[in-house]
Amino acid sequence: MSDYGIPTLKENIDRETVDQVLALDVDKYKYGFETDIESDMAPKGLDEDTIRFISAKKEEPQWMLDWRLEAFRRWQTMIEPTWARVKYPKIDFQDQHYYAAPKGSSGPKSLDEVDPELLRTYEKLGIPLSEQKILAGVQEDGNGEATPFSGNVAVDAVFDSVSVVTTFRKELAKSGIIFCSISEAVREYPELVQKYLGSVVPVTDNYYATLNSAVFTDGSFVYIPKGVRCPMELSTYFRINERNTGQFERTLIIAEEGSYVSYLEGCTAPMRDENQLHAAVVELVALDDAEIKYSTVQNWYPGDKNGKGGIYNFVTKRGDCRGKNSKISWTQVETGSAITWKYPSCILRGDGSRGEFYSIAISNGHQQVDSGTKMIHLGKNTSSRIISKGIAAGFSDNTYRGQVSCHRKATNARNFTQCDSLLIGDTCGAHTVPYIESRNSSAVFEHEATTSKISDDQMFYCLQRGLSEEEAVALIVNGFVRDVLQHLPMEFMVETQKLIGISLEGSVG
Amino acid sequence: MNIQAPIRLSAAEESLASQLDSVGAEGLATLVRDKGLPTRRVESYHYTDLKMLLNDVPPLASAAQAGGAPATDIAGAYRIVVANGIVQNSGTAPAGIAVGTVEGPVMASRDDLIVSLNGALGKQALGLDLTGDVDPVIHVDHRFEGAAAHVLSRTRIAVAAGAKATIIETVSGSDAAHLGNLATHVSLGEGAEVTHIVVDMSALQARQFSNLEYRIEANAKLKSVMINAGAALARAQVFADFVGEGAHSDFLGLNVADTDEHRDITLDISHAVPNTTSTELYKQIVRGRGKGVFQGKITVVKDAQKTDAKMMTQGLMLSDEAEILAKPELVIYADDVVCGHGATCGDLDETSLFYLMSRGIPRADAEVMLIRAFLAEIVDAVENESVSEVLTDIVERWLSKDV
Repeated sequence: MSDYGIPTLKENIDRETVDQVLALDVDKYKYGFETDIESDMAPKGLDEDTIRFISAKKEEPQWMLDWRLEAFRRWQTMIEPTWARVKYPKIDFQDQHYYAAPKGSSGPKSLDEVDPELLRTYEKLGIPLSEQKILAGVQEDGNGEATPFSGNVAVDAVFDSVSVVTTFRKELAKSGIIFCSISEAVREYPELVQKYLGSVVPVTDNYYATLNSAVFTDGSFVYIPKGVRCPMELSTYFRINERNTGQFERTLIIAEEGSYVSYLEGCTAPMRDENQLHAAVVELVALDDAEIKYSTVQNWYPGDKNGKGGIYNFVTKRGDCRGKNSKISWTQVETGSAITWKYPSCILRGDGSRGEFYSIAISNGHQQVDSGTKMIHLGKNTSSRIISKGIAAGFSDNTYRGQVSCHRKATNARNFTQCDSLLIGDTCGAHTVPYIESRNSSAVFEHEATTSKISDDQMFYCLQRGLSEEEAVALIVNGFVRDVLQHLPMEFMVETQKLIGISLEGSVG
Repeated sequence: MNIQAPIRLSAAEESLASQLDSVGAEGLATLVRDKGLPTRRVESYHYTDLKMLLNDVPPLASAAQAGGAPATDIAGAYRIVVANGIVQNSGTAPAGIAVGTVEGPVMASRDDLIVSLNGALGKQALGLDLTGDVDPVIHVDHRFEGAAAHVLSRTRIAVAAGAKATIIETVSGSDAAHLGNLATHVSLGEGAEVTHIVVDMSALQARQFSNLEYRIEANAKLKSVMINAGAALARAQVFADFVGEGAHSDFLGLNVADTDEHRDITLDISHAVPNTTSTELYKQIVRGRGKGVFQGKITVVKDAQKTDAKMMTQGLMLSDEAEILAKPELVIYADDVVCGHGATCGDLDETSLFYLMSRGIPRADAEVMLIRAFLAEIVDAVENESVSEVLTDIVERWLSKDV
């Protein structure tokens, strides 16, 4: 945006909002450096040998390899989906590496064995991996700014295709919590992995999920035992470094009966002219009365101001509220990626379960965002809430696409959806595509896309206490969002609140 | 899912392709053979999978004489009967109405199979040129006669600058598994004021596609009402293009669906110039295993600043086996616009029912009152009383139906 100047604005758009969006412009990407480190790579191309190579590198058992090969065979029969409002040249799946790992780090080790160059990279990104440092309260990134990952947070650091270190494992193990890379989990907890892997996102779910099932390299595995409230935030930090590679992350989180976990995810990549693919699958399982909060700060390299380079972020994230009264909430702050194709979803299977989706998607430059959520109501008395704000500037396109669906047996299902979009300048686009599918007469679904359509009762209540209409709207909508943010780590909240503070004025459906 | 498989043509697709061959529309015939009917993978047919829903295509209709009484009689209206797509003798036209026939497709070519089929297979179009303040309501009475047939009807209505008119089109026919495909193009000249209503009352064995297309010039005012109250499978497509500044349109519609009926209204509105406004209100009421579909897309192009569009869709579900599917979509490329959409879906409000019952009204009556109130917003929007009465009558007939 710096080159084509500040767009002329409508009078009623808040100046501060605009400045905040401009501060996030693609030119100002601050994580674009490259780490010079030697890597072990799989040869370019994708065939069964590539998959055997990955599986062998990870020292996987036979069942895992078979699972991957089965997925690969299915993937070959599938065609790429085209329904999303995004445009990109055809991806040549044979022209990239499917495995890249820093030399000598075939798996996470103790901290003192990790290449110091890697540690420096994470420090530069504001992710201190040394437990002593974290406990000593080092809370700054290379630029002296506080980051969401610098608090009392356990981190699994994934660099290209491998997890290089997972902090606080022993500490967490004391409470019976398993927090490790998925590769380790496959070897060490095969019964848990076999039971849950692919149970939320089936192998054949969609083109990219099937590809991921065949070639996934690393990601995190979390298991919270019955009745345990995870004592610290868990997080994974994904970094793409090598050229011509794709990152295929796989994360699996299982919350047993009555447990609670809050999980954070962050991601960055170097600035390059090429487009790199990040096709992840995240599966969450919440059993009876369990709660999972999953927060993402997505900051992949968005490409330069001419739309060259950047990450293709094609991600399948799904949570299964399998048990009664379970709860899954997704919070996402999306500012990166050249293309985002991502619909964190909740399957509300257990009676009384609850799904939430809070999203702020900001696009700039030539970014294309097609993101939203799915709330699938299957159980009785299930409820869901969707709050989405899309802000488009520059030449970007920002689409909210969300599905709310109610099964025949989902008596008393309830959904409230609100999505606002804001356009800054007349060269960008903001779109809303909700899919509302009701198959039970007692289900009540409400979808609103204007600030004036908050429930009349709530409005009346606020107005009647002397608030102006605008204050009332801000109070109600911010109330929804803050509700979740308050449960997040302090630094994350600060960062996100800057974005949430964005004025509602001048927004369009 | 997403599995690539060679197209296997259904019986309906085979018949369509050979009908297209018989009129020399080879291009479209090839398209049908290559791609088949639209499935749920085609975004605009996501909830109306024609490959699944359209099991057969009856033979192309032959010319027929209109027999019997009209499905509905509108007091004081000037009626033009179109039987199996052919314009019948319409008597002397009142002042301001010129009736004729037009050759060729009436709608712009669009990337849509139903519209293309009408363009390729239709024989004759009714042409109406309206000037001045047209007094009587114009009733275009489309009828399907005889045995099951594939009936294509076309109407082109040109409303001159400054003219005023109310036009109602009804679709009805004999008890046979007809396949109707109606296309109407209405162009509104500068400052024209038009109310255009299409009511599908075809027999419950029939399948009906209704395509409406509006071209709205500067300062024109349009009220468009689409009511799907007939056919086992009904899909109405409403296309509107704002091409002149200062125009305003209200788009309204209603799907009522019973038993196993599938009723779909799909809207595609393009605000292509600055300073145009529109409201959209579409309601659905379903019971039995009925399925109501509403898809509404409003596009605001880059330069169409100061557009104001408000879309609302509401669904009322009266049984647990019914379905309501809605997709109100906004595609916005201009930054100084106000566009909103809302969607609600649920059954009758218990609090309101309780209120009425606490005042001594039996539950069944209270329910009917609330349903009537729900539908009133659509029916009452039509200012012409005799037309409004006809619409009320259709709704009442549906309500009193024993299910």
